[in-house]
Amino acid sequence: MKKDKIRLILIATGTILLLTTAILYSLMIAQKEKINLGNLIPLIIPLLIIIFMAFFIIRRYKGIKSGMPLEDEYSKKVMLKASSVSYYLTLYWLLFIGWFEEPIANLFGLQHLDAGQTTGAGIVGMAIFLFALWFYYSKKPNLA
Amino acid sequence: MKNKIKELRTKYNLTQEELARRVGVRRETIVFLEQGKYNPSLQLAHDVAEALKTKLDELFTFD
Repeated sequence: MKKDKIRLILIATGTILLLTTAILYSLMIAQKEKINLGNLIPLIIPLLIIIFMAFFIIRRYKGIKSGMPLEDEYSKKVMLKASSVSYYLTLYWLLFIGWFEEPIANLFGLQHLDAGQTTGAGIVGMAIFLFALWFYYSKKPNLA
Repeated sequence: MKNKIKELRTKYNLTQEELARRVGVRRETIVFLEQGKYNPSLQLAHDVAEALKTKLDELFTFD
């Protein structure tokens, strides 16, 4: 139980550090005149991770408080399934970005996406898939 | 696969939370086990059977 508490504290510390970095980064880009997809993606990624981690930490904290373990065989399977399916979906998402690169870039007022922006969009997609699938499998298991 | 987890848990006046604590899993796991939405590992099935003072083959039955 003590080990679980330490692990949760470490996860929370990592999330707070990420949040601090995201705030500092947003302050930095706010000083820039032009805000575009390129400088927003590095902010969107940590924000998505923070939202996901906040859900995760609150749920796990409640569990630990009532004497439950931080994770068990079922929660590990949920995370494993969500990770594998999100990886699979990301392959299609990356193909989609490759095919529709120009219209996506135009949506954000850009001519084209550079390598960094494309990678960033791929990571954002993966983070969204992971969060959504983790939430879905946590509520409606299909792991029997 | 069917199981008698809920039936035996009620018989021993245990809440899902108490059973979860005895077995060392989260409450959600017990909920999904009772609903038959999750097939446990052999180790977990054994631990649940032990916590409910029954045998594995009496707790879980195949259709």
